[in-house]
Amino acid sequence: MDAAALLNISQVLLIAILVFVAINLYLVFRLKDIDPFRKWDPDKINGTLFLLFFVVGLPVSIVATMNWSDTFTLLIHPASEHGAEIDRMHINTMIVAILVSVVTNLILFYFSWRYRYDKDNKALYYPHNNRLEIIWTAVPAVVLTLLVFDGVGVWHDIWKEIPEDQEVVNIEVNGKQFGWTARYPGEDLTFGETNIGFISEADGNALGFNKEDEKGFDDLVVQELHLPVNKLVHIDIKSRDVLHSMTLAHFRVKMDAVPGMPTYFNFTPTITTDSMRTLKQNPDFNYEMSCQQICGGGHWNMRLIVVVESEEDYNKWLKEQKTFAQFYKELNGVDLIAQANGETETTEPSSEDGEGAEGENETEATGEVAMVK
Amino acid sequence: MSDVTQNQHHTLHDELHDHAAHHHDHHGHGNFWTTYVFSTDHKVIAKQFLITGIIMAIIGIGMSTLFRLQLAFPGQSIPLLETLLGKWAPDGQLDPNFYLALVTMHGTFMVFFVLTAGLSGTFSNFLIPLQVGARDMASGFINMLSYWFFFTSSVIMVISLFVESGPAAAGWTIYPPLSALPQAIPGSGTGMTLWLISMTLFIASSLMGGINYITTVMNLRTKGMSFDRLPLTVWAFFLTAIIGVLSFPVLFSAALLLMFDRLLGTSFYLSDIFIGGEMLHYQGGSPILYQHLFWFLGHPEVYIVLLPALGISSEVISVNSRKPIFGYKAMIASMIGIAFLSFIVWAHHMFVTGMNPFLGTVFMLFTLVIAVPSAIKAFNYITTLWKGNIRFTPAMMFAIGLVSFFITGGITGILLGNAAIDIPLHDTYFVTAHFHLVMGSASAFGLFAGVYHWFPKMFGRMMNPRLGYIHFWFTFLSLYLVFFPMHFMGLGGVARHYYQYTAFDFMGVYGDLSKFITYSAIFGFVGQLFFLANFFWNIFFGKEAPQNPWKANTLEWTTPLRPGHGNWPGEIPTVYRWPYDYSKPGVKDDFLPQHIPAEEVEYEEGFQPEMPEIEKAPRPQENPAAEETEDKEG
Repeated sequence: MDAAALLNISQVLLIAILVFVAINLYLVFRLKDIDPFRKWDPDKINGTLFLLFFVVGLPVSIVATMNWSDTFTLLIHPASEHGAEIDRMHINTMIVAILVSVVTNLILFYFSWRYRYDKDNKALYYPHNNRLEIIWTAVPAVVLTLLVFDGVGVWHDIWKEIPEDQEVVNIEVNGKQFGWTARYPGEDLTFGETNIGFISEADGNALGFNKEDEKGFDDLVVQELHLPVNKLVHIDIKSRDVLHSMTLAHFRVKMDAVPGMPTYFNFTPTITTDSMRTLKQNPDFNYEMSCQQICGGGHWNMRLIVVVESEEDYNKWLKEQKTFAQFYKELNGVDLIAQANGETETTEPSSEDGEGAEGENETEATGEVAMVK
Repeated sequence: MSDVTQNQHHTLHDELHDHAAHHHDHHGHGNFWTTYVFSTDHKVIAKQFLITGIIMAIIGIGMSTLFRLQLAFPGQSIPLLETLLGKWAPDGQLDPNFYLALVTMHGTFMVFFVLTAGLSGTFSNFLIPLQVGARDMASGFINMLSYWFFFTSSVIMVISLFVESGPAAAGWTIYPPLSALPQAIPGSGTGMTLWLISMTLFIASSLMGGINYITTVMNLRTKGMSFDRLPLTVWAFFLTAIIGVLSFPVLFSAALLLMFDRLLGTSFYLSDIFIGGEMLHYQGGSPILYQHLFWFLGHPEVYIVLLPALGISSEVISVNSRKPIFGYKAMIASMIGIAFLSFIVWAHHMFVTGMNPFLGTVFMLFTLVIAVPSAIKAFNYITTLWKGNIRFTPAMMFAIGLVSFFITGGITGILLGNAAIDIPLHDTYFVTAHFHLVMGSASAFGLFAGVYHWFPKMFGRMMNPRLGYIHFWFTFLSLYLVFFPMHFMGLGGVARHYYQYTAFDFMGVYGDLSKFITYSAIFGFVGQLFFLANFFWNIFFGKEAPQNPWKANTLEWTTPLRPGHGNWPGEIPTVYRWPYDYSKPGVKDDFLPQHIPAEEVEYEEGFQPEMPEIEKAPRPQENPAAEETEDKEG
């Protein structure tokens, strides 16, 4: 490993040395007033090189694109409903973009070669032509208008409000330095109250559950995101420290997690993990959630596995997860449910002190902090 | 009424400067300090900007080479890094926080110190007075201050590289809360404070420069130099300065509020933060507010960087095609369009930051509209080449390369400007590829084109064209080889700002491509040595330049080979025509400088000149400059 890097560096150094040798030779020639390139016509050489650049560059780009095309996660196998729409538009726009840049670059380099300097030639005095100007104002304007209308349509579909009667799976994703945590509302389908003021890593309360809010007792806090296929999913996105960006590349989903301002994204996954494994012919494939907003030293490593499965499998998985109350009891020996029902008994006396400290924290977090400021 | 005052002002100004010029004649050059250091001569200040910019560019590009090594060889020990970076690369393994610091400082150096100050600062200063026919800037003293603020800001930014906790590391956009909290990343400690102080001075410098450029173009044009006879370079610098003056103060307010949050504990951008095991007191602020303020400068900034390059390439392409620039008025109109639209597209950087999606729709519309004037410019460049007689000077090569980058890099903007397509592409390498081509490479090529073209005017000597060609091909090829493959990685979903791609299965497949990009980058870095050698050697030992080496029309070539302070020893030439009379039918030479009156034009034998509108001499007793200003105001 070490040696390989060293080798690479030495290759680079070698190139640098060769370059310096070349410079030296050049200077020697210069000092002796010998010009070995006297007969070279720079206009001819450079004009030809420009055209050559295009003639070689285009096939190389095409071959390279073909070669890498099966790695283009963002163009193949969109795994969500809106993702298919985005990809359709993405590919259409890409075709327009490629056509325009290939043709204009071709003309640019062809003209460079075709109209290179000739001492017997005089350029054409051609300062303006309003018809041409109108054509190349109007054509891009029309093309762009079409693209914009398509774009506005797709964008609005992504953000349209969910009708009241539509069934929706609510999930919350929490970002922090450096990792993601998902939360499911549990059997009551309602999230319990959380506040960063309640966070206590030592108690395993990383999301800041309000321990007096019964709605939170059955919430599931998990390190893996499971989604039922073909169901509309509403993800609330939160961050407790800096900006993160919840990115699900395969689903064409991305939204920043902003401290102090919850955001959301709605989408419908359409391909299960298993189907995608078959599609990609890769039995080890997994959907992954990443962070794509610079957030610190561990930014590159904020990975969460995402599993899309049938509704039965999804429900089964939900049942297997521990609720927050169960988890809390196992870790701290405090039964939150019993506590909420007015029973003060705890298994370990020492945790009473902890409770007291927590209580102080609560008051601080709920109201008085703002006042002090 | 105002005509009179304007005229008086002109005369007074000329007299003052004539006096200054005489002073120089009698006493030779002033002392070292007033001539080379605290000079108020716009030409010296321009060179100071250029050389400071080149030094900053060497550091900035050098940093990119270092983090490219990390990206090519993740997890491997690279002894070179330890040698250069010491504690930031223990055992040759780059520290992830310092990786982000390198990325951040690379962006800051290149965007602000090289492509804003190095490009606009150099050529606005150098060319505006020379091309409009003025003795100097409206205020030489403020111009000098502008450079020294910039210099101080550069020094502070370089010092910040060496502080104990490392330089700023929150990306060149320094989004809070990351940039506000030293607990979040070490670079947000002293390094970020210095970054903000440095940028504050930079903004002050930029404003002083901008006000000077605008005033000079409005008020100090020579006789006959109406707005429709200004070279496109001056138009570009003028509009750039207007954009800068209107947008940089907003960056200042963004930086100031961030400073308050950091130092005074206010909560403009911060709310509900739990970090380092404790809850912070910040309540009610919004990180999105910062993003709005930042991009209100940040997007116009793209055009602050790009417009001068486009102006320079207009001039260089026209001169070396021996043809008038095609669609002079369309070029001006599209630049004005771009300048205006650049203020209402900023939130296309924020489609997926949690901003209201309705705003996304609005900004998507404006963003795609801005593609139209850009397209017009590209087509006009290409038509200028058509049936030209193209001399491939190094400057011309870079100008043509610029057009290619402008097209290839700009066209991907229609994908990114579309809010829906931006969802998957945002913050991937696709964005990196896009802006490095259209803003980075195109503007850098504008800078190179400008240096190669105006070097003879700056130093009275010629650069070596062959080294220029070698430099061009190294740079042109390497930039395409570096940034074109980045589109692939972007389409593969690879995120920006990643220390390594190995954590994710779908990103991990680009190991080889990443190595290839790094090799190409080193190849390009080596190519810059040709430029540095060519530039610095020929300042002192270059071949003596002819008076008008490129046979160009603009006024700067009517000055002496090494113009003193005041530019023209005698009277300032009067302007009789637009600057693009190349290969005019019937005219003997293939160029017709702006200061040649109709009656002095040499025609080919047997040619009967008709007198078109544009060649008429200015009406006597009138000052078109003043008139123009009146028109603008009315």
